[in-house]
Amino acid sequence: MSWLIGVMLVMSALSGWLVVLSRDPKRQVYAICANGLVLATLFFVLQAPDVAFSEIAVGTVIVPLLFLITLAAVAMNKARQ
Amino acid sequence: MTSRWRLILLLPAFLVLAAAAAEVILGLPAFGDPLTRYGTAVNTLAPALRNVSNVVASVMYDIRGIDSLGEESMLVCAVTAAVMLLRGRRGEDSSEEAGRIPGRAQGERMDAMVLMCRLFATALFLFGAYVVLHGTITPGGGFQGGTIAASSFALLYLGGGYAVWRCLLHSPVLVALEGFGALAFVLCAAVPLAFGYTALQNVLPLGTWKDLYSGGLMVIVNAAIGVAVIGSFGALLLEFMEETRAPKGRVDEEDT
Amino acid sequence: MNVLAWCVAAWLMGVGIYGVVTSRNYVHLIGCLSVCQSATYVLLLGIGFRWGAGPPIYYDHPPGTPAVDPVVQAFVLTDIVVSAAMTALLLAIALQVHKRRGTLDPQHLRPLRPTE
Repeated sequence: MSWLIGVMLVMSALSGWLVVLSRDPKRQVYAICANGLVLATLFFVLQAPDVAFSEIAVGTVIVPLLFLITLAAVAMNKARQ
Repeated sequence: MTSRWRLILLLPAFLVLAAAAAEVILGLPAFGDPLTRYGTAVNTLAPALRNVSNVVASVMYDIRGIDSLGEESMLVCAVTAAVMLLRGRRGEDSSEEAGRIPGRAQGERMDAMVLMCRLFATALFLFGAYVVLHGTITPGGGFQGGTIAASSFALLYLGGGYAVWRCLLHSPVLVALEGFGALAFVLCAAVPLAFGYTALQNVLPLGTWKDLYSGGLMVIVNAAIGVAVIGSFGALLLEFMEETRAPKGRVDEEDT
Repeated sequence: MNVLAWCVAAWLMGVGIYGVVTSRNYVHLIGCLSVCQSATYVLLLGIGFRWGAGPPIYYDHPPGTPAVDPVVQAFVLTDIVVSAAMTALLLAIALQVHKRRGTLDPQHLRPLRPTE
């Protein structure tokens, strides 16, 4: 199964690069979600189910949600000024 | 400093770092080589010493429990600082009016979506509690189950809207949960110390293999961390959501 | 395959630092910081891996079957959850900066400028 680990490592490198390449914060949120999912699959393939649990719950749900709320608050603040 | 100067300064730093990284990469053992001796020792001894089948949980809550105590206090500090920053400008009360951005469409909530969100939020919270309780047997534990249960709060907001959400989640309750969880962890470390053992020593009976109660003091530490993480992330979500409300005494647009 | 994991970790860290330095928006910068953190996770879990070994959970197999390193998994696990709280703190700081100065661009925000 070594090809699977190699594929997941390359995909995580690509998804991390994609997070940096998305300059608009509204688009970066989706890149962060994808990055979290790819990383969780990588951790699962590296025989670490606890870490994959953590990464799915945090990297796919909580961190993008916080980003979205912050962006909404920033837009609201800008509209108010 | 302009962005061009930043890039010009970054380039030599990257060259030095790349040289150091190449040296380290060539010096590290190959990927997949046999484990370090500490890891092999833990894998061999932990199931017999602590009667748990989740060796990672035994490392986190018992063998390296002091590290988890440090991480827990980092979590509490970060959440306290974020809540303080956000409340310091806004005050402690909550607002009834939703903040609106002019020109944005506001859709109606569909009944099917509300029902599904309520069902799945309950199921998700129960699943998070299950993961917390079975932390010493199957993959899981306090940290993981706590975040899963906290993400059910987000589903509640998506399904019911802000008013329903505020009726269910009260800020003092969440903050008290977080503090209680952290305090329970500290007591688990301090009470054995007060009775003459070492801190965080497993003084309770170890339980049976593959049972819900296995691992002694680990069960209490697990539950304390789960409760603390639920309270932390719930309080964080609550404070962030409050930022998107209209300030009190002012209505931005007509509320439907 | 021997050095792929270490190279990916170094690449992710480099890309993250480049994103932090050339960012034009503080919220984008915080996302790049999370990429730097994921580099450390990949490195740690790569160090703990072993060919032909299973997870260190002995629910289905008897204790004694080959398993990967559990100590690094404990590190990475707590790190992921705490980094979420620190991301929230950084986002709160960015929000306050926007409220005071009206912009989120690092190039336009010079330190020690008196606030209006």
